[in-house]
Amino acid sequence: MTLLWIPLLSLLGSIISSTTGKLTRNQSTGLTLLMPVIALLMTISLAPAVFSGEVIRETISWIPLLGINIAFRLDGLALLFVFMILGIGILVIFYARYYLSSNDSMPKLYAYLMLFMTAMLGIVMSNNIIQLWFFWELTSISSFLLISYWWHKPDARKGAIMALTVTGGGGLALLAGLLLLGNIVGSYDLDVILASKEIIQGHAWYEITLILVLLGAFTKSAQFPFHFWLPHAMAAPTPVSAYLHSATMVKAGIFLLARFYPALAGTDIWFILVSLTGLSTLLFGAYVALFKHDLKGLLAYSTISHLGLITLLFGLDTKLAAVAAIFHIINHAIFKASLFMATGIIDHETGTRDMRKLNGMWRFMPYTATLAMVAAAAMAGVPLLNGFLSKEMFFAETLHQQLLGSMSWLIPVLATIAGALAVAYSARFIHDVFFNGDPIDLPKQPSEPPRYMRVPIEILVALCLVVGIFPNFIVDDVLKAASFAVLGGYVPEFEVALWHGFNLPLLMSAIAVIGGLLLYTQRRYLFQFQASLPSLNAKKTFDESIYRITKWCQRKISDSENGSLQRYLMLMFVFVLLFAGWPLFEMNQLGGQKQLTPIDVHNAMGAALLMVGTISTVIWYRARVVSLLMLSVVGLMVSVVFTRFSAPDLALTQLTVEVVTIILLMLALFFLPQHSPKESSSVRVVRDIAISAGLGIVVASICYALITRPLESISAFFLANAKTGGGGTNVVNVILVDFRGFDTLGEICVLGIAALGIYKLLVNLPLVIPASDSEGRPWAKERYPILLASISQSLLPLALMVSFYIFLRGHNLPGGGFIAGLVTAVAFILQYIAHGSSWIVARLTINYRKIIASGIAIALFTGVGSWFFGRPFMTTWFEYFDIPFIGEIELASALVFDVGVYITVVGATLMILASLGQLANEPKEEVNT
Amino acid sequence: MTEWIISILLLIGGSFVLVGSIGLVKMPDFFMRLHGPTKATTLGMASLLTAAMVFFSTTQAGVSVKEILISLFLLLTAPISGYMMIKAAIHHKLESIERTKGIDNIEDDV
Repeated sequence: MTLLWIPLLSLLGSIISSTTGKLTRNQSTGLTLLMPVIALLMTISLAPAVFSGEVIRETISWIPLLGINIAFRLDGLALLFVFMILGIGILVIFYARYYLSSNDSMPKLYAYLMLFMTAMLGIVMSNNIIQLWFFWELTSISSFLLISYWWHKPDARKGAIMALTVTGGGGLALLAGLLLLGNIVGSYDLDVILASKEIIQGHAWYEITLILVLLGAFTKSAQFPFHFWLPHAMAAPTPVSAYLHSATMVKAGIFLLARFYPALAGTDIWFILVSLTGLSTLLFGAYVALFKHDLKGLLAYSTISHLGLITLLFGLDTKLAAVAAIFHIINHAIFKASLFMATGIIDHETGTRDMRKLNGMWRFMPYTATLAMVAAAAMAGVPLLNGFLSKEMFFAETLHQQLLGSMSWLIPVLATIAGALAVAYSARFIHDVFFNGDPIDLPKQPSEPPRYMRVPIEILVALCLVVGIFPNFIVDDVLKAASFAVLGGYVPEFEVALWHGFNLPLLMSAIAVIGGLLLYTQRRYLFQFQASLPSLNAKKTFDESIYRITKWCQRKISDSENGSLQRYLMLMFVFVLLFAGWPLFEMNQLGGQKQLTPIDVHNAMGAALLMVGTISTVIWYRARVVSLLMLSVVGLMVSVVFTRFSAPDLALTQLTVEVVTIILLMLALFFLPQHSPKESSSVRVVRDIAISAGLGIVVASICYALITRPLESISAFFLANAKTGGGGTNVVNVILVDFRGFDTLGEICVLGIAALGIYKLLVNLPLVIPASDSEGRPWAKERYPILLASISQSLLPLALMVSFYIFLRGHNLPGGGFIAGLVTAVAFILQYIAHGSSWIVARLTINYRKIIASGIAIALFTGVGSWFFGRPFMTTWFEYFDIPFIGEIELASALVFDVGVYITVVGATLMILASLGQLANEPKEEVNT
Repeated sequence: MTEWIISILLLIGGSFVLVGSIGLVKMPDFFMRLHGPTKATTLGMASLLTAAMVFFSTTQAGVSVKEILISLFLLLTAPISGYMMIKAAIHHKLESIERTKGIDNIEDDV
């Protein structure tokens, strides 16, 4: 279970830190650090096994029927990332304690950071690609929260939206890609996918799958041309930037490349797409970084450039390139995190990040300056530092490829130019900030930061040095293990060393350093040239395109959804006609083999009444009361039909539903005009008649086709098992409360939600009660006739008795909770009609919302109850008891479930009625339902 | 024997219902028309229900009392619905023919 605990602990940490609002800053930090530290120790304890080549897996089956499991795995690559995520995460949390001002909410930042950490851990450890995608999206969401941490700043909000849009869009592409991948392989299991290279690459969908997955990776890791969100994400607090843009968020895209390297890489299209994207990002980022005056802007573009470098390495056609890529992932995370933190200190102590103002910081903070300079030198690739080693490997690998055929020599040349640019912007970072004269109007008098704020940087810079000087000492194991995972079990012989002798890569490094310094000293001309270029404002372009897309969508939506219910119905029916009607034409013969039953007088009369009722409803549709009465004829006839064809449960339900519906409609009609005006033009009437006639023909034909064919259904199973499995002879009821109890639970929830919705719509609705009826007569003075009132009151106990009887017998004879609930509701409705709402409200102080809630709760807990007996959710228990004087009776847990159904139905129906009735009587009074 | 009883009860009930229905169609104004369905038909229904009670009590085990309950409901509700309809008719000031008695006794809208 250790593996599962690693992301779980960090999730727990997120919850813990969100509750530390009342504690001091130190306590809050300490508590937050606790969980990741434990997780890190657990990871360290697992490390030796992974180094020895083992892949640790853990699976919890979730929906085994669909093959969906919660699966985690830890191989070398995942281990490397877990180390980085937890290690740098711990340093960032520690650093943020000193960075945040007392106005900022520390628990909020910590909770978001830990949530983000959970998501990242989930990505790197998932063994199921859908699960991986879930965590992928979770990083998008939690990074949105982190970037918009200072939500009162428009920059932060816009940057967060931009990041979410780009990475979220990429996430959708990734989902599509992963689904295709799962389809090709036939499994969403990562182990299986990684082992199916031949199947995937031989498949016709390979190209499209690859492009979709790469889109996801490139948007996340800010590859050109999707890089523009990253500089805008710099509006986040610096600890967040240090975390997101060094070890985590953007590395998730890189991780994806590495993860699927064994399955997707190796083809020409992979090499072309990945290497060219990486190369252009590398050059573009390095070039733009040079011109940024904002320190974080410089680091942002340098991050883009380094991500391009790693991507390019994954796109090079050699095994060693992948090793170099992994090595650079480690190095970049270390020096970039420390640089961001140093920038945060400078910003914190001086109040600005503008390099035109920041000069000569060496005098004010020599210690921080030294640390930042070492880290910047690592970024530039200066010997004795970690950046130098991976850059050497990178240069060496660019020499060993044949990507562009005879033009392949371009790649090392461009790589050297990018290296020179990196040296130039690193030099600018060092020289402009720490030397280069005196500071110009700083908002604050700079000084060294608090002692402990530097600790995380010291640790990281020490790592830069140790890795740079003794590479084999620290990273060898983890690098080998990660390469083992990426290259699918084969690791080429390589040696990371400081000195390889005089060779071409060393020459390239030397050219880069000298060229970079030259570039920096001559930067004035470059800046002039850059100023003459037309400037491209990414934010403006992005905003405009988003605005245009939104406008376009709005127009399309208002075109199709203009608020006319008639139109929606028309469209819906036309589509039903098309999709249900079309297949009918492909049938050879409408009638099937089965004989029709002969028509007798009763059936014919029933059918005739049904038709008369239906047609009358349509004819008198403008006289609404008449139309409603005709509709009730239809409803009653339907329930008679149910009785005739032995469906007593349905008949009872239909009858009670009909009664309630008609009464509610009557109440609603009270507020509406008694006659609908003539609104439709003749053409429209013809169109509507045509559509409805067509629909009638289609439905009738389908019915005819169905009833004349033998129908195999699941009914036989229910009939056979109702008594033995559910303990009841009323199959309908047993289906409702037992076989399909879960459906019923959902349905009563829907009923409750519908009732709440109606309540919410009607409460405080300013409705004008008509002063007279449609013909101008005033309302009767005696509103509640005494005769009706007294008789209906005396009927209440009788009606309740009937409903109780129907409820109790439900399991074995027609009846049950639903019908009984409706009968009870009808009995109460009668009281409302006879006495008026205010009379009832004064006597029946019941909160219907609580009734609904308790009904659903009873049903739910009955279902949960079976867990305590070690059975699946909603297993019915029943037993027969012999009770003196009454005889043998059956007690079933389904009965309790049915009580829940009953209560919900009563509560929901009465709430709807009471809300409507209250309007009719005392519209100004507070509705007490 | 029971068959005879059931048959006679059904016939009595049937003829009452029939008379009520004819009244509903034939009577000249609303106030008269209401007599048929409220009085004759209710009585007819009671007779039919008695027939049903006899039938189920003899063919099935135990005495069937549900029908008594149904009759009780009917006898309670039929007068009330008649009463409510008459009230509505008075409120609407429906036309009546001269032979209809008692219209003059009605106070206006009580």
